[in-house]
Amino acid sequence: MKSISRSIPKKDHGEKMRGQAMYVCDCPTEGILFGRMVRSSVPRAKVANVKLPTLPDGYCYVDKNDVPGTNEVLMIVQDTPVFAGETVEHIGDPIGLLCGPDEREVLRLAGEVEIEYEMLEPTFDARESDVVFFDYAYEKGNTAAAFAQADHIFEEDFETGLQEHMCMETNGLIAGSSDGKIHVHGSLQCPYYVHKALVHALGCRPEDVSVAQDVIGGAFGAKEDYPSILACQVAVAAHKAGKPVRVIFDRKEDIECTSKRHPSFCNYKVAVKDGKVTAMEIEVLYDAGAYTTMSPVVLQRGIIGAPGIYNVPNLKVHGQSRKTNNVPNGAFRGFGGPQTFFAVEMMMEHVAKNLGLEPVDFKLAHLAKQGDSTSTGGKYHFPVPIAPMVDAVLKASDYRAKRAAYQNQTGRYRKGIGLSAVFHGGGFTGSAERDLLKSVARLHKDKDGNVEILTANTDMGQGLFVAFTKIVAETLDLPHDKIILTMPNTDRVPNSGPTVASRSVMVVGELIRRAAVRLKDEWKDGEEQTVTEHYKHPEFMIPFDIKTFSGDAYPTYSWAVNAVEVEIDTYTGAIKLVGGWGSFDAGTPIDENILRGQMEGGFVQSLSYGMMEKITAEKGKIRNNTFSDYMIPTAMDLPKLEILLHVEDYPGGPFGAKGGGELPHVGGAPATIAAIENALDTKLGKAPFLPEDVMNHLREVNR
Amino acid sequence: MVKSFAPTTLAEALKLRKAHGLTLYTGGTDLMVEAKEDASYLFLHKIPELKEIKQDAQYIRFGAACTFSDLIDHPLTPKILKEACGQIAAPAIRNIGSIGGNIGNGSPKADSALIFMVTDSLVRLVCEDGERMLPLKEFYLGRKKLALRRDEIIAEVLIPRQNLDNYYYTKVGARNALAISRVAFAGILDVRDGVIRHCATAFGAVSDVILRPAEIDAMLTGKTLTQAKALRQDYLAAIDQVIVPIRGRVGVEYRKDVCLNLVRDFLDVNGI
Repeated sequence: MKSISRSIPKKDHGEKMRGQAMYVCDCPTEGILFGRMVRSSVPRAKVANVKLPTLPDGYCYVDKNDVPGTNEVLMIVQDTPVFAGETVEHIGDPIGLLCGPDEREVLRLAGEVEIEYEMLEPTFDARESDVVFFDYAYEKGNTAAAFAQADHIFEEDFETGLQEHMCMETNGLIAGSSDGKIHVHGSLQCPYYVHKALVHALGCRPEDVSVAQDVIGGAFGAKEDYPSILACQVAVAAHKAGKPVRVIFDRKEDIECTSKRHPSFCNYKVAVKDGKVTAMEIEVLYDAGAYTTMSPVVLQRGIIGAPGIYNVPNLKVHGQSRKTNNVPNGAFRGFGGPQTFFAVEMMMEHVAKNLGLEPVDFKLAHLAKQGDSTSTGGKYHFPVPIAPMVDAVLKASDYRAKRAAYQNQTGRYRKGIGLSAVFHGGGFTGSAERDLLKSVARLHKDKDGNVEILTANTDMGQGLFVAFTKIVAETLDLPHDKIILTMPNTDRVPNSGPTVASRSVMVVGELIRRAAVRLKDEWKDGEEQTVTEHYKHPEFMIPFDIKTFSGDAYPTYSWAVNAVEVEIDTYTGAIKLVGGWGSFDAGTPIDENILRGQMEGGFVQSLSYGMMEKITAEKGKIRNNTFSDYMIPTAMDLPKLEILLHVEDYPGGPFGAKGGGELPHVGGAPATIAAIENALDTKLGKAPFLPEDVMNHLREVNR
Repeated sequence: MVKSFAPTTLAEALKLRKAHGLTLYTGGTDLMVEAKEDASYLFLHKIPELKEIKQDAQYIRFGAACTFSDLIDHPLTPKILKEACGQIAAPAIRNIGSIGGNIGNGSPKADSALIFMVTDSLVRLVCEDGERMLPLKEFYLGRKKLALRRDEIIAEVLIPRQNLDNYYYTKVGARNALAISRVAFAGILDVRDGVIRHCATAFGAVSDVILRPAEIDAMLTGKTLTQAKALRQDYLAAIDQVIVPIRGRVGVEYRKDVCLNLVRDFLDVNGI
């Protein structure tokens, strides 16, 4: 490990543990109006009439007619309204916002708003939807010829479900105006996304709006796209009311009405010749929900990773995301990757089994290596360390001996072990870092030699402030307490892009490192100095064309190998996690403890995506909307996870760091399902797989 | 006008109960989920009589305001009850949730109540005018329906002193902590000199109330293990008949399969 990797205490630990951290719900509420959303109770309808109760003085109702700019939330495609227009498209679609000084009275009044609907036919299953939001395809080699010459052709369907972020802190924002400016602050990952959305909805100049982050109690993507919607709503309300307005969701509202991970339906067709996979034909379908939000980029990442970490010479990939009348799905750690990586890892597992081969060996025989072309005809510019990582995980988990021992079990308790190998591409897909984000980062030195880091990036518990502080301190050879870093406010910080896509350390961290190098060169004692750095696209990258899906989708990749061991109780269906091992390569850790924490947390989220987390919805209405109904694992459900760090330095990242945040959430589910398969001696194609599924499976087998 | 009371004697509590009705509150871990703003509560946690654990010739007696942690820590608490209480929620809930509340909430998923059912426990109900004892099975009239009069308070739960050493208990939740039972099964088999002196089973989270098929369990009472073995299929068929799960968060078929698997295992481990 390099010296920078040595862990230091997280800057926010103290105030969070003492209860002093100010979350948006802790902000003083004197003179503030509480807002409660009036939402659609039906999945699809024309809004015929809205009948308001008599509103006492000081109370107001805000809807589409009050939006001073455009009734659109600025995202990738402008179909999400600030407040519903002529129609509502999902249960929970916001129609209006009722605001007033007494929170209980606001709740009561919001409950008395009567909406008259003219019902329209809803669609809940993406496979039955005829509204295609996004359609992408790419090809490589000659799949037709490969299938024509194949010894075997295998075809299978795979499904994954919704996943809810379950942040400890729900979504919440406050908007107010002062000095002729609208200010929005609260729980948000991407201040400049919100800033741009506000300018669009309010129809004002960029300088008329400021956005600031409060302490965030977890995000995982939940606060990437959604706060843009909520910000426009509270800002419109504050604009109309002439007073600050606060909206903080309760848990039920947060689960029922905000974005989740896209459910997926994949079909894989694989050609095998002489024991090797020669071609794959892949169909990917993501359920976008009612509006497009982040669906195009989620789908792009999904189809780029569809053939996994393997060198598949002939490839045909087609992906769609379709509209349904479910809650719009958006950003979630892994961002489209976990779905297709689940499918391809299970497919490779099954093809190996069909051929009578051990899946791990079969996968190793197909690994891409440095210099090989990627799915989109880009290049793996850097080493692919999967083989040594698999080796380390096999040893740590005793995989081979266990796999051999767990054949043909018949007792009550049956054990299984499974392994997956995946990547995650750091940063935005393709050339978006260069063409869309154009990140800017700044360092400011005061006369006393304190250096302030000015970026738009947010710490939501993942440890970004520690990472940024260490990068600048190490480069300038300064003690950590000479580095100043506070929560961003768009009035003060340049746009260094959103805190998403595992990009903050790798991309923005490199910007501030370069700024620090320059500041060190130009350092003048006793003077104020400012250094600004702009994003530079890596020159080695093969230009990416999003129309043809060709070129380098990412400059480099982070890698993960996961093994999971389970024990299944065939009397109750209970799936016990017995062991979890992960080798992760996110380049040089900027702080070893923080990276390990990220890997453990993401691994857990990914395990439970495979065997515990499930949204139960009936006709578009989410039923399990509490912490006691939507299951995530407790400490009592987890074994001690063994986290191994593998380091392949990335020369384009600060101190060799690559993206880390999402990496651990890609491979846990397929490793878990592979372990369940091993225990039950079968093949499975869906995640999550729950105790009820175990019992259904056993009932089928015994029939 | 919403008013709540926290009496320190049982007499005072009964007087308030008779005068105002009130919602009985002993821990509040279920009540606070509902968080009814217009409710008036009668807090019972400050009444010493309701916190006692003792025994007499016939019963082990638990004050209704005893928390799950109180039971876990007490030497008189039978092992089966300790085990069930130890799997309720998490330490913070166990430190405040009470057995009286667990019973009084009227849920078929109540984990301590399952043990009181399988042990054929009684509840002592008190009011200003007197008291009565009721088998817990008769106390439950239906889902959230209790044979508790508007002026009564559950004062005690009485477990008959019997041989409870040979027990079987399994809670199936969606995770290992902070989980409501999806299926729970408890069985007791008292075998002496090769003869079954007592057999009892109870099933939680299946029906509107906890099922306690005493008449079926009676098939095995008085039989030798060999005789019981011969009756195994008849016994299981009879249990199969009474396990008719109502719709819930998890499937009906799933819960039925699990119940029957656990009963079979209960017989298996006892050589029946």
